[in-house]
Amino acid sequence: MTESLQQIVDRARAEFAAVSEGPALEDAKARYLGKGGALTELLKGLTALPPEEKKSRGAEINRAKETVEEALRARRAELAEAALAARLAAEAIDVTLPGRGRGTGGIHPVIRTWQRVEEIFGSIGFDVADGPEIEADWFNFTALNNPPNHPARSMQDTFYVDMKGTDGLPLLLRTHTSPMQVRYAREHARALVEEGKPIKVIAPGRTYRVDSDATHSPMFHQVEGLWIDEAISFADLKGVYTDFLRRFFETDALTVRFRPSYFPFTEPSAEIDMMFDSGPLKGRWLEISGSGQVHPAVVRNFGLDPERYIGFAFGSGLERLTMLRYGIGDLRLFFEGDLRFLRQFA
Amino acid sequence: MLIPESWLRTYCNPPLDTDQLAHALTMAGLEVESVRRGAPPFTRVVVGEIVSRGKHPNADRLSVCTVNVGEAAPLSIVCGAPNARAGIRVPCALVGAELPPGEDGKPFVIKQAKMRGVESAGMLCSARELGISDEASGLLELAPDAPIGQDLRTHLALDEAVFEIKLTPNRADALSVYGVAREVAAITGAALAPEPRRAISPTLTEVLPVRVEAPDLCGRFAGRVIRGVNARATTPAWMRERLERAGQRSISALVDISNYVMLELGRPSHVFDLDRVHGPVTVRWAREGERLELLNGQTVTLDASVGVIAAGDTVESLAGIMGGEATAVTLDTTNVYVEAAFWHPEAIQGRARRFGFATDAGHRFERGVDWATIPEHLDYLTGLILEICGGQAGPNDAQTLRLPERAPVTMRVARARKVIGIDIAADAMSAIFTRLGLAHTRAGSGESETITVTPPTYRFDLSIEEDLIEEVARIHGFDAIPSRPPLARAAMRARPEAERSLHTLRARLAGQDYFEVINYAFVDAAWETEVVGNADPIRLLNPIASQMAVMRSSLIPGLLANIRHNAHHRADRVRVFELGKVFRRDASVTDGPLTVAGVAQPLMIAGAAWGGALPEQWGAPKRAVDFYDVKGDLGAVLPPDARFARVQHPLLHPGRAACIRVADAVVGVLGELHPEHLARFDLTQAPIVFELDAAALQRLSLPTPKPVSRQPVVRRDLALVVEASVESERIVKTLSSAAPAFVQSLDVFDVYRGSGLSEGEKSVAIRILMQDFERTLSDSEIDEACQRLLSVATTELGARLRT
Repeated sequence: MTESLQQIVDRARAEFAAVSEGPALEDAKARYLGKGGALTELLKGLTALPPEEKKSRGAEINRAKETVEEALRARRAELAEAALAARLAAEAIDVTLPGRGRGTGGIHPVIRTWQRVEEIFGSIGFDVADGPEIEADWFNFTALNNPPNHPARSMQDTFYVDMKGTDGLPLLLRTHTSPMQVRYAREHARALVEEGKPIKVIAPGRTYRVDSDATHSPMFHQVEGLWIDEAISFADLKGVYTDFLRRFFETDALTVRFRPSYFPFTEPSAEIDMMFDSGPLKGRWLEISGSGQVHPAVVRNFGLDPERYIGFAFGSGLERLTMLRYGIGDLRLFFEGDLRFLRQFA
Repeated sequence: MLIPESWLRTYCNPPLDTDQLAHALTMAGLEVESVRRGAPPFTRVVVGEIVSRGKHPNADRLSVCTVNVGEAAPLSIVCGAPNARAGIRVPCALVGAELPPGEDGKPFVIKQAKMRGVESAGMLCSARELGISDEASGLLELAPDAPIGQDLRTHLALDEAVFEIKLTPNRADALSVYGVAREVAAITGAALAPEPRRAISPTLTEVLPVRVEAPDLCGRFAGRVIRGVNARATTPAWMRERLERAGQRSISALVDISNYVMLELGRPSHVFDLDRVHGPVTVRWAREGERLELLNGQTVTLDASVGVIAAGDTVESLAGIMGGEATAVTLDTTNVYVEAAFWHPEAIQGRARRFGFATDAGHRFERGVDWATIPEHLDYLTGLILEICGGQAGPNDAQTLRLPERAPVTMRVARARKVIGIDIAADAMSAIFTRLGLAHTRAGSGESETITVTPPTYRFDLSIEEDLIEEVARIHGFDAIPSRPPLARAAMRARPEAERSLHTLRARLAGQDYFEVINYAFVDAAWETEVVGNADPIRLLNPIASQMAVMRSSLIPGLLANIRHNAHHRADRVRVFELGKVFRRDASVTDGPLTVAGVAQPLMIAGAAWGGALPEQWGAPKRAVDFYDVKGDLGAVLPPDARFARVQHPLLHPGRAACIRVADAVVGVLGELHPEHLARFDLTQAPIVFELDAAALQRLSLPTPKPVSRQPVVRRDLALVVEASVESERIVKTLSSAAPAFVQSLDVFDVYRGSGLSEGEKSVAIRILMQDFERTLSDSEIDEACQRLLSVATTELGARLRT
């Protein structure tokens, strides 16, 4: 008995499904669609049929042929997909292995603070000043209303070097960043008077004092701020510095207080203390800055008329800000160059 | 400065508790750094009297004491102290008492206990066991009349607070208990008691003649002879306690009284042994070379900038600073000369510091001491001496020579408002001055109103308008001034595009796997002289340590020390950089906006790489970092036109060192550390180091882009064999000079030495990219160009084609 078309189609499907490789599938295809294939043979047998029967039988066979071809295409695609999947599986790698090549270094935490301070003050138009670290007596002291022998000089123990300035006084390592504000203001006084451009600057940098223990380093960093114009008041100082602390520590949950103090170069003078409302340092007043309205004698040394120009100045320790920001307890870590510490700021 | 609270409150007693008072002082500018108490907390310790002392039956060193603590029955207490004896009154901790923690940090609770078989109902205490002092040699012996059974904290006033005040240098007037009381009155409005006074009726007529030769040194001088004093008199307990709480050790009655008056009223004085003062007294500037042995045992050589009190030809005292040993009072002194004077601050300032010490008197005089009350204070001092030491007083012999002026200071109300930034009413300002005890008058009204203050003689900090504005702000309260964001003209500010910030340079080096460090600018002198080759470094006159004695002229040795530090901590690969100034003597530098004559202080950026070229890892072979690795890293910070040339440098390997030029200026060096420096830094593998002028790296030019050709690119490679000494840059330059315009680039992509080449030869492979802007290049043009490059290489460099 001869197979029905359906049986041929079913057999072809079964055979296609059974093969698992491309060449075997092509062999199976030949058995149905090839020259001597089952369906090809049936088509050849049509010639013996009467015309009406030929037509209907031919259509049936062609439908069967299409069904088989479709099954073949599907199986081919399946096998190709499986082959690709197998190849990709074989090519899999351990994605958890470390990447190749070099790592990345890092910026020193104190410099990171320096940069943030520049950015924060830069956002309201503060310029950045520079200046020498071996400094003349006049810029470090006298210009700041701190003449020789003044008792306030003992507030800062000064390193001197074996060279004299053009005034005959020994050169020194600047004890604060304030000389930079004097230098900057003298350079920009004319622009203030003639063009009304305010003197608005911060001066970050290294400073030096004869002091070395767990909480003092003989070299450290300060940032000085200065804003001189026709009506910059103590209330403005409070506003600017409070805003700065909130931006720097990225929280409004801190309290700032200004406390009367004395510096030769400001009057009224204030120590600025801050207190966090939460966290490990919560509830403790922390000294953060010295500040005040620039003393008229200093404004005069800027080359400006203190009757007309007033403003504020402040000076903060960058190490102090950094320690509070990141919760660092030991000042010495900043100057040891220990990669185990520095890597944490990569 | 230590101010005992109870002493302070005898002059001004505001209705504030201890902490509120401390806060009020702090917020007025007299910063209370700490509030000290007489002893840490303890409970149930009372005054006890040892009624009898018996031997302990089982221990030679212990005794069994019968102690009366004011209760019905005496207590039996075992005690090991050597000074335990019948009749003395000592602190007695009762059963249940909690004593300050010992070294283990745990509170110590007294229990009824058997000690070597004998019941003990408490403990007799030393000062150390109670945290009162470090005295631990025996029981703390109390006064013979101490009330038995009284709580010890009450008896010794151990809960009394002592304010530790950090006084700013402008507030000379507050350097005493009375001065602080005056301030408390101003801040709180509480009443201020008058200064203590003593009226003296002289019983002697004797006067010691004094001639003041230098009125610019001494503005007022008062002295008095007192005969027949008992220098061995005991300082009264109340005075001793006040002195001790104020941090002043009791020495002898005469010295204690002088110190007491200074602490109470801020009036330094000096007591001479009259019998040791020979000849007429003169007050004058010292003569060059005069010598004086001071009370502290130090002998100083004087000059004309220092004031003295002399008797006859002998200098007896450093004026306003310290007395001399020769005329100091002793326990045998019977006749004294007491002196109080006004020394001009400018005549005292800095003098003690020059001799390397500081004294309480000098500290006060260089800031300013009231001259008006000198005779009254001398009488007070005299009165205390007569009360405590007895004696007969001569007249108060005062002379006035030249006193500072107290010119009235005018404050414009409008100016004060402008500086402070808020509208304080003129009446409020006037009220503040009244509270401060500042006599003042008002004039004008509205915008032109002024207040004129005549500063009192005890205030040395009120001479300009701002001084008064500060007082207004301070007493008004800084807290009461709003924090106001300022209004300002908005003006943009931009950094030039062709300038890289230092932070950008830092970020770029960090991106190349270098960690930023910060090293001290002062270094070991040997680093400069022996490593960097700077024979004459700038020296510190007062270094804190010999390894921090000179200013560095190179950042590199510090980086080498960083490598050593990390290597000691087992790091096998260290890459660090620093950005900082270096310092060199340079006569060509003049004073300028950013310069100080004679000193070059350029900002440098330096780095060091040591260990593997890469961190040790699974996918790359291990290889030590070398010159070319770091040269590659520097691409991140150098301008594109930087050129390298061999150089000799004391820090660097002579064959592996380059100077770096940008636009013909040398901007730095790069190289391998010279092997002779390795041992100093405990290294075996040489680090690669660089140091560059940061300013040169900041300057860039703006990009000037050219259009891009759409024609095909042709690549040809040319492998040239040359002598090994021919530098690659010379090959490229030589070829470039002969290349037709369509040659876009000539780059070395391989260098080979070894088999196939003879000794002393190397093969350098050059990649040539050619492209015309207008048209496709023909084969013949390309071949011709290559031929031409080869022939130039042959004739100019002695090269041949590698086959």
